[in-house]
Amino acid sequence: MAIKTLLNSMIPSELLEPNWRLLSFIVLLISGIGVLMLYPMSEFHGYVDPFYAPTVLVVPIAGLFRLTCYAYRKDYHRHVFNHPNACGINIRGDSMTRDYSGETKFFRVENLHRYFLYAGILILPFFYYDFYISLIYSGSFVLRLGSLLLLLNAVALTLWAASCHALRHLIGGRTDCYGCAFAGSQRKSLFNWQSILNGHHEFFAWFSLLTIIFVDLYLRGLAAGMPIDLNLSKLL
Amino acid sequence: MKELTINIFRMDPAVDNAGKYKKFNVPVQEGMVVLDAVRYVQENIDPSLALRWNCKAARCGSCSAEINGRPRLMCKTRVDMLEEEITVSPIRAYPLIKDLVTDVSNNYEIERRIPAFRPKKGAAQPFLINQIDVTRSQEFRRCIECFLCQDVCHVIREHNTNYIGPRHAIKVASLDMHPMDGIDRSPMLNGDLGLGFCNITKCCQEVCPEGIKITDNAIIPEKERAVDYKYDPILRLARRLRRGSSAK
Amino acid sequence: MKTENSKVNGIQKKYETVSSDVLIIGAGGAGLRAAIEAFDNEASVVVVSKSLLGKAHTVMAEGGIAASVANVDSKDNWKVHFSDTIVEGVYIGNWRMAEIMTKEAPDRVYELERYGALFDRTPDGKIMQRAFGAHTYRRLCHVGDKTGLELIRTLEDQILHRDVNVMDEVFITKLFIKNNSVSGALGIRLRTGEIILFRTKTVILCTGGAGRLYKVTSNSWESTGDGIALAYNAGAELMDMEMIQFHPTGMVYPPGVKGLLVTEGIRGEGGILLNAKGERFMLRYSPEKKELDARDVVARAIHSEIEAGRGTEHNAVYLDISQKGAKFIHQKLPGMYSQFMDFAGVDITKQPMEVAPTVHYQMGGIRVDPETCRTNIKGLFAAGEVASGLHGANRLGGNSLADILVFGKRAGLAAAIYSSKTALSSISTEEISKEIARINSFANKKKGLNPQTIIKVIGETMSEKVGIVRDGKDLGLALTKIQALRKKAKNVGVSGSLKFNPGLLSCLEVEGMLTTAEAIIRSAIARKESRGAHTRKDFPKKDPKFKKNILSYKNGNSMKLKMVSVPSMPDRLKQLVKLEVY
Repeated sequence: MAIKTLLNSMIPSELLEPNWRLLSFIVLLISGIGVLMLYPMSEFHGYVDPFYAPTVLVVPIAGLFRLTCYAYRKDYHRHVFNHPNACGINIRGDSMTRDYSGETKFFRVENLHRYFLYAGILILPFFYYDFYISLIYSGSFVLRLGSLLLLLNAVALTLWAASCHALRHLIGGRTDCYGCAFAGSQRKSLFNWQSILNGHHEFFAWFSLLTIIFVDLYLRGLAAGMPIDLNLSKLL
Repeated sequence: MKELTINIFRMDPAVDNAGKYKKFNVPVQEGMVVLDAVRYVQENIDPSLALRWNCKAARCGSCSAEINGRPRLMCKTRVDMLEEEITVSPIRAYPLIKDLVTDVSNNYEIERRIPAFRPKKGAAQPFLINQIDVTRSQEFRRCIECFLCQDVCHVIREHNTNYIGPRHAIKVASLDMHPMDGIDRSPMLNGDLGLGFCNITKCCQEVCPEGIKITDNAIIPEKERAVDYKYDPILRLARRLRRGSSAK
Repeated sequence: MKTENSKVNGIQKKYETVSSDVLIIGAGGAGLRAAIEAFDNEASVVVVSKSLLGKAHTVMAEGGIAASVANVDSKDNWKVHFSDTIVEGVYIGNWRMAEIMTKEAPDRVYELERYGALFDRTPDGKIMQRAFGAHTYRRLCHVGDKTGLELIRTLEDQILHRDVNVMDEVFITKLFIKNNSVSGALGIRLRTGEIILFRTKTVILCTGGAGRLYKVTSNSWESTGDGIALAYNAGAELMDMEMIQFHPTGMVYPPGVKGLLVTEGIRGEGGILLNAKGERFMLRYSPEKKELDARDVVARAIHSEIEAGRGTEHNAVYLDISQKGAKFIHQKLPGMYSQFMDFAGVDITKQPMEVAPTVHYQMGGIRVDPETCRTNIKGLFAAGEVASGLHGANRLGGNSLADILVFGKRAGLAAAIYSSKTALSSISTEEISKEIARINSFANKKKGLNPQTIIKVIGETMSEKVGIVRDGKDLGLALTKIQALRKKAKNVGVSGSLKFNPGLLSCLEVEGMLTTAEAIIRSAIARKESRGAHTRKDFPKKDPKFKKNILSYKNGNSMKLKMVSVPSMPDRLKQLVKLEVY
């Protein structure tokens, strides 16, 4: 009985409801991770796969950073759990009869978002390092299309992390009186700049996810022998 | 003259509590807004049609309604932006009084529960405040209390929780972010005032006629403040150590 | 609260009774500030308002609060503000009210800040002040272009954290007077249709103006002059009712937003006025101050251009700020940009705006004592736009917000003191029954006259015949029209019950609107000169004979007028103000 109450207070009912969207989401997530684990892609001709650095580290950190991200929270609460699935009052399904606990039960873990941000910031430089490695792979400096894609991926991830709400809080979200604080006006302008990025956080979140998947598939394509690389240095 | 068709929700408790839509034809004027059409009905066809309006300039927040299923101000919604047939209903998150009028009085009860501004101890008066410190709080002070965000919020509308809703969350934020305010309301907001029930799905931000970034600039920053005092293990430890050392 | 019964025409009529020391009618800036003060001075306070709490017309105030805190221009002080106020009021304003307002406004501004208002700041962290028409120095303490909203929210917050009984959406239909002192009021709770009897020792009227008497106005739906009519019927004196301020720039197109205010800030930031021929006509009317002359001067100039056939197709002139560039406009006038974009589809960074004068403010109103805001009825007070005296023949921008804070506080204090020395008096059940029967007579009337038909004619009559430039003949016609309407108004009525019935509310408002209109017209007929906002085509000059205040009051069943001299200024103040020239 006590265990049941404990479970009730911990597990939000949206995780227990029969919900094909949730099931599909879980299937997608598990198969994605499974593919990465079973068929790891490490490196091809100097291109280090963005999922490998090493995979065991990147996948959990990036995964949890994404799952606790405010942008994705909006998306999966809306489109996976249907709380609510649309803002339009005439089109969204009635969920009056469904139990709802918001971010009070299990989803409280989302409050640890900032720690995944810290970890994410620690692994960010490796993506630039991988770009550098790919440039000098042949012994001399060669710019190939793949390198550019690796750079794009690194920049997308940086923009996503730099526009994070938890970072915003760290920079100055908790400060009410910059006038009273050390280097207040500089910090406030930093906060204002970050706020502009923050306004596009949802875009960066999705863009960086699509980029990383695309780059991974691109490298797998290369490894499978597809002729899709290009030496840009030769074109110039 | 060109006419438009408007379906207005009618409910008179003297008749029954169910209510139904009634169709009216209204002549179209250039630049007409939905409020013009509803007022045309009220002034010329049925003077007993209950509606609230006041400034007709999107500054008082009285004429909130659900227009074609979306919470909007009637005075700010041009009919030429909508489909041929317009449907207007009251903001249903609140108990219906009559026709387009609902009982929004519980908002004032909520505001009573939010501690009012109290100057920091020792703040010199008159206050000296840097302009960079007024902008964040001022964004939320643009709120015209139309309660459209409360209406669209699925937590308020569909679930029975203690969450006070977006309008009041930005009220708390506007007080918390006042540079001279001496109270931290975030523990209360995340406790008794139920901010944990907000799952940041941002419909409130989408419907705000003042364009206030409710979720990004008020609710998420307040959630992050809650993390500071409640969930962040390192900050909790640091506070405990500090308290321990000061106790000695 | 208790429920009582009375017999009307043999039918049992129930009503609630609410008792208090102070009953405040109106929840705008003046009403809320009065409520705070009365409550803090140990009175039990009830505030009633026609609309929801926080929706009062005060939220529309854009410019700021005029107070000589001298944060921007260090030479400013109350004496300069005093002189500006008296001169703009063309010397018929009450000197003591102007002195009190200009001396106390800075305290009220800082007090508002202690209550939690967050003003824009100067570079050194003080409250920012902006320039405004006919103020000698930059004087308006402001919060962007939403000062009124901040004022209301701040006071609303204070009220909600005090034990003040706020009853919103209640319309007061009558004040009860016994032995020339207030004994109570009767109202209807719009939400439920319940009748409420207010037993009270004092009433403070803070009901605002009467802009809705006009077809084209910047005023809210609420501004129908209810308080003026309540006071008049109770036997209080009205003063300078002819003084109606026309704001020079209101929107004209599309028709739905006709009258909506276009802020003076546009001209302040460099906007110019052009007629349909493209001439900058203000150079002719006011070569020195041009677009930034006093409101009455600019409004008359625009009116003359339109009358002379140099207006646009919508009977307006152009106001152009596009030469300042898109970036400047987005930064300084974001509210105006979206107002024109949303409502008219006009991009003010590229196109000129069409503007024409719009009714904005009523300088006249209930005659009050400068120190305490009391009227000639014991226990009846008035503050804010509904009161008169401070602004004389014309109001300076920003003085209205200062007015409501300063005199709201004074009225609240005076009412609390008065009520502490008085007992509740009784109200005759016969009077109550009569009033309840009157209210009921409008409802459930199948063949009643739609009140809107009368309100529409009032609007047309006032706009056409009692407008910006008046003449004796038109005013006479207007008076006849209003008197005819009064007879017609006896037949108004609506279908449906008492419960939230806007048509019923209009029925209740119509009589007051007619009374207010009558006072305006009669006073306008009596003032045979042109002074401030009151311009007579047949008497185009200012006349020393009329350096008077015109009172209107009820005598039996008819309205009487009386001219009284303007209280003369003591020498210490006379030296602050330049002599009036004719």
